[in-house]
Amino acid sequence: MIGHERDIEDKSQAPWKSPVVLSVFLHGLIVVVTLAGWSWTGPDNQPPPPSISARLVTQAEPEPSPVVDVVDEPDREQERQQAQEEERRRQQEAERRRQEEERAEEARRIQQQKENERQKQAEAERERKQERLKEQQAAKQKAEAEAKERARQQAEEEQRRQEAARKAEEEKRRAEEERRRQEAERKAREEEQARLEAERKRKERERQLRESQLEALADEASQQRQAEERRRKEAAAAKARQAQMLTESQKYRALIRDRLMSVWYPPASATSAMSTTLQITLLPTGELASATILSGSGNTAFDNSALSAARAVGRYPVPDDQQVFDQYFRRFPIEFNPENAQ
Amino acid sequence: MTNRFNLSRNRLLTLVFVMMSLLATPAVGNELLIRITEGADSAIPISVVPFSESGQMPAEEKVSRIIQNNLQMSGEFNPLPPEQMLSLPSEGSEVFFRDWRLLGQRYVLVGQVRNEGGTLQAQYELYDVSQEKRLVGATASAPASASRSLAHHISDRVYEAVTGVPGAFSTRLAYVTLERRADGPLYRLQVSDVDGKRARIRLESAEPILSPAWSPDGKKLAYVSFETGKPAIYVHELASGERQRVADFSGLNSAPAWSEDGGSLLMTLSKDGNAEIYRMNLANGDLKRLTNHWSIDTEPTYDHTGRGFFFTSDRSGGPQIYHKASDGAEPRRITFGSRYNARPRTDSTGDYVYYVHQREGAFNIARTNLKTGNETVLTRTESDESPSLSPNGRMLIYATESGQGSVLTVISAEGGAAYSLPASRGEVRDPAWSPIVR
Repeated sequence: MIGHERDIEDKSQAPWKSPVVLSVFLHGLIVVVTLAGWSWTGPDNQPPPPSISARLVTQAEPEPSPVVDVVDEPDREQERQQAQEEERRRQQEAERRRQEEERAEEARRIQQQKENERQKQAEAERERKQERLKEQQAAKQKAEAEAKERARQQAEEEQRRQEAARKAEEEKRRAEEERRRQEAERKAREEEQARLEAERKRKERERQLRESQLEALADEASQQRQAEERRRKEAAAAKARQAQMLTESQKYRALIRDRLMSVWYPPASATSAMSTTLQITLLPTGELASATILSGSGNTAFDNSALSAARAVGRYPVPDDQQVFDQYFRRFPIEFNPENAQ
Repeated sequence: MTNRFNLSRNRLLTLVFVMMSLLATPAVGNELLIRITEGADSAIPISVVPFSESGQMPAEEKVSRIIQNNLQMSGEFNPLPPEQMLSLPSEGSEVFFRDWRLLGQRYVLVGQVRNEGGTLQAQYELYDVSQEKRLVGATASAPASASRSLAHHISDRVYEAVTGVPGAFSTRLAYVTLERRADGPLYRLQVSDVDGKRARIRLESAEPILSPAWSPDGKKLAYVSFETGKPAIYVHELASGERQRVADFSGLNSAPAWSEDGGSLLMTLSKDGNAEIYRMNLANGDLKRLTNHWSIDTEPTYDHTGRGFFFTSDRSGGPQIYHKASDGAEPRRITFGSRYNARPRTDSTGDYVYYVHQREGAFNIARTNLKTGNETVLTRTESDESPSLSPNGRMLIYATESGQGSVLTVISAEGGAAYSLPASRGEVRDPAWSPIVR
């Protein structure tokens, strides 16, 4: 039974669970992982990407300086001094001045225009310069960003590589661990199996024991029930028999009483206080075997009358039923007590 | 394991229960007591086998015959007629109990009487048939002329052996007869055996003789005689015939009653004007008045203690029985059953008082149980008077009317009819039963 069950269990194991297959697979896996790890560590010899090119670009571009015009300032000062000195001529020259002013105004306007244009130009120039600066900065930033990116990529690459290596290592370790674990598991399983087997056997033994115990208990209980039943029946029968015997005995008791009453002559001295109890022993035929005084009245004549009465019955009426006789009439007491005496 | 233990414990409990119920089942024989509360309602069967005789026998009745009659008269025995006996044994060795048992006999008396030079020698044995046991085996002797005494003596022994009560067959009766003759009435004081035989006249008088009373030793009689023309109380010694007038006071001198020691008499005297009860010391004649009532107090008789006495008094109207427990005690009325209850007599146990009881015009003898107060009328005849109890308390004699004359009738103290002693001539009254003299 045990062997059979083991067989079934063995067959029910999946093929991949076979330790041999598992071992082959694990080894293969380890080889692949090792190889992959090795090829990824190769690029360490590659030259790092040129990061100085960006710096060169920054040096080639001159720093743009802003243009400053200081020529116009002293002109306006001179004109005001001339006006003040040539006060008297103003009249005459009002026209002229006016004209001149108009011209100056014109000139100023033109100058202003020029100035505005120049400022615009300067502004544009500045804007351009700034644009250029911006562009240069953008380029520089871009380059920096690119460089950074590259460095980052490189670092990432490195990290990845290291990661991969670590991973491979980890993988290896894990594989090893897994192997060990599996091995342990296997062992544990085996142990567990053995344990289970033992447990199962133990349980089986216990079950068998319990079964046999239960069987025994059931047997015992059943026997007890039967015995109980038998006893109950016997008791009921005994009770019925007892009742019957009692009835039977009562009948014969009455007969005996009648017989004794007909042969008892309470003496003249008898009083209701007198009582004599005799022990009567009969033979199964109803013949008197003996009659003795259990407790006397203290009056000889009275005691004698009782004894005489007991003996005067030639054959006591007794039941044919031997059991009733044995129980009630083989030996019994009779009390003589004249209730109606004075 | 626990289960198993529980199981076995259950089993044990069951076993215990079953055993207990077995023990509890009712009754083994010993507990079934058969109780006999009543005896046969008939006289005891006894066989008085005719005694074998040797030598000259008196012409009288045979001894065994007298015994048989005595037992018969007691009312308590039912002797088997000798004709029905299967054998006539005269001694124990000849008694075959089976024969007597077949005849339904309970006792067998066998004996022999020999006349040895004028003396009757009797040897007798009483057997209990059912027990096959000798109860009495004795010899007795008497002069040939006293064969009746011998028979009465044997009767007493037999009676006592069977009943436990002394027999009273050897006692005597005193009574007064009245013969109405042409020249006048003749009163005679007579004494006889209890069966009425051997009656002897002790006193004859033309004047009434009343209330004879036996002295405790049975040797003297006290009575009232009118022989002097008026009532007087006399004490008469039977053996010598000597008489002494002890009370002759003016008025009534009546109803003498002996004290236990025979040294004094209770009597009724009316010397002080009214009938009262006195006690007279016979040695010196001293009187002590015991009652004091304007009504009649008479007919005293000592109770069983010898200290108190019963008497008749009509202090409540009609005559009733009263009891005075001692000289100084207040009288206590005993009877209530009818308007006339008189002439009390008591027995030696003090259980009952007997008296004449009138109801519906008839006079009967009744008795009252002093413990319960229950009254029982004992007689069915009319004109019954003067009850007197036998000394063993078993029988009661009284005078009554019968046909033309009167008779003395003996009944059992419980009231069963026994026998009558017909007076040879005329009337008979005032019977007094003598004490037992050993």
